[in-house]
Amino acid sequence: MTPSFPALTIMEAKIRQLTEKDLERALQVFRRSLDHEASAYLNSCVHCGLCDVSCHYFLTYHDLESMPAYKLKLVTDVFKGHFSRLGRTLPGLIGAKKLDHAMIRAWLDSLFGRCSLCGRCSINCSIGINITQLIRAARGALAAIGLVPPGLQSTVDTAIQKGNNMGIPREDWLETVEWLEEELQAEVDDPSARLPLDEPDVNLFYTINPREAMFFPLSILAAAKIFYAAGESWTFSRENYDVTNYGLYSGDDAVAGTLSNRLVESMLALKAGTLVLAECGHGFNSNRWEAPEWLSKHYPFPVKSVLEIVADYIRDGRIRLDPSRNSKTVTLHDPCNLVRLGGIIEEQRFILRHAVADFVEMTPNREKNYCCGGGGGQLAMTNFAERRLEAGRIKADQVRATGAEVVVTPCHNCIDQFMELNKHYQLGIEIKTVCEMVAEALILP
Amino acid sequence: MGNIDVNGQNVATNEEGFLLDPDVWSQAVAAALAKKEEGIKSLSEDHWAVIDCIREYYTEKQQAPMVRKICQQTGFPLKYIYQLFPSGPAKGACKVAGLPKPDGCV
Repeated sequence: MTPSFPALTIMEAKIRQLTEKDLERALQVFRRSLDHEASAYLNSCVHCGLCDVSCHYFLTYHDLESMPAYKLKLVTDVFKGHFSRLGRTLPGLIGAKKLDHAMIRAWLDSLFGRCSLCGRCSINCSIGINITQLIRAARGALAAIGLVPPGLQSTVDTAIQKGNNMGIPREDWLETVEWLEEELQAEVDDPSARLPLDEPDVNLFYTINPREAMFFPLSILAAAKIFYAAGESWTFSRENYDVTNYGLYSGDDAVAGTLSNRLVESMLALKAGTLVLAECGHGFNSNRWEAPEWLSKHYPFPVKSVLEIVADYIRDGRIRLDPSRNSKTVTLHDPCNLVRLGGIIEEQRFILRHAVADFVEMTPNREKNYCCGGGGGQLAMTNFAERRLEAGRIKADQVRATGAEVVVTPCHNCIDQFMELNKHYQLGIEIKTVCEMVAEALILP
Repeated sequence: MGNIDVNGQNVATNEEGFLLDPDVWSQAVAAALAKKEEGIKSLSEDHWAVIDCIREYYTEKQQAPMVRKICQQTGFPLKYIYQLFPSGPAKGACKVAGLPKPDGCV
């Protein structure tokens, strides 16, 4: 029986049109993206199955297709079928498979549709296989033949064509910054307070998730207020302010490199000191860790999360906070790309202990935390939205167990998923960024 | 795929509740979307001011307006927009106004 994939209906016409040449091209891209380390990983799974209960998709659906080891097997089987001698001559003996139309569907459904690239399976793997990296490599092969699910691909395309992932025209961005500057001046009662644009030779070059400018600008205002209170010298770029990089999720290294390089170019042109990444999990992982690899480039400047900057302000006494201004019970969600995959683990906790009166951890937390369900491009891929919400139940339960009234998370992607979880599971919570909590607690001089 | 019931007629939406065909939008569709997606029992004059502003912008430019434009046009303070549409301008207001899911709305 041929398995059916209802979530792929929207892509079916494209899949059917694939030629042998297309499949060959996908395989070439796949092979090129595998270094020695990856090839070793592809031969290492012992099928112990320990990864299954680490995955929020498996915990939701309890089916084979959601098991990390199965997803990895889909990738491994193709690798063996095309790139190992035994697999090419006696495929049945070692379970090697060809990349054909059926396999393409299985890849799309499991590797895009049942994975948020959260990396939780990798830290629970008894061998230590970097499963996330291998799934991303397979996504990259699909990207090479135009088979990234449409919502995710259009997000990438918009970023490439329009300079930011929401297609914000430049005048609208400048107008929004101007408006927020007026708001800041009113809030701190100082007409000299600024949101600088293209200011050369400053300490910090700040970036945002375009979603902030487009629909949720209070988090921009919060960051600007903190910079103001700390007496920071900083700037936005008129052109390149987008911290996101959905090439991380589509698996397309060339596109991902192009997007990250924009920030590098602007940094160098403005001779800014530090590239500061807004509260955006995948934007941090992309620009802090992956981009130098994509670009084969050593960054001549430090790259930091805004959380590191704010934590330093508190440590150095550059800002003072009154935690009693945030009196509700607050819990913290750890974005996978910032925490498990990014290494920013304690800063947000340090900040919250100074900024809120009642902070409780959810369980598990830090690098063991569950994905909210919105990562890996899931929020953009409408065809898998139902699974995303169902797999988010684990997160909803985690939040409920804390009894918190406010969920703070340093990631706009997570915030969007939490807004949907809030509605779907009727959590009745407020959802905030770390900077928003800090701005609320700021004691202005 | 999903659908909503508008006075006994089925109107198709995507998996996230955005209209599949923005041209089928009507005030009745907006009322049904508001009820289902935002839990708004009846749309107030202020809701309509936001919806009209978004539709006007969309009809002209084929894209969603930034929240700055919505505030400017309606004269409402930012925080009031979030009170009117708890899911925010994109997944709340734009959805009720019948727009397709905005680009990069993730």
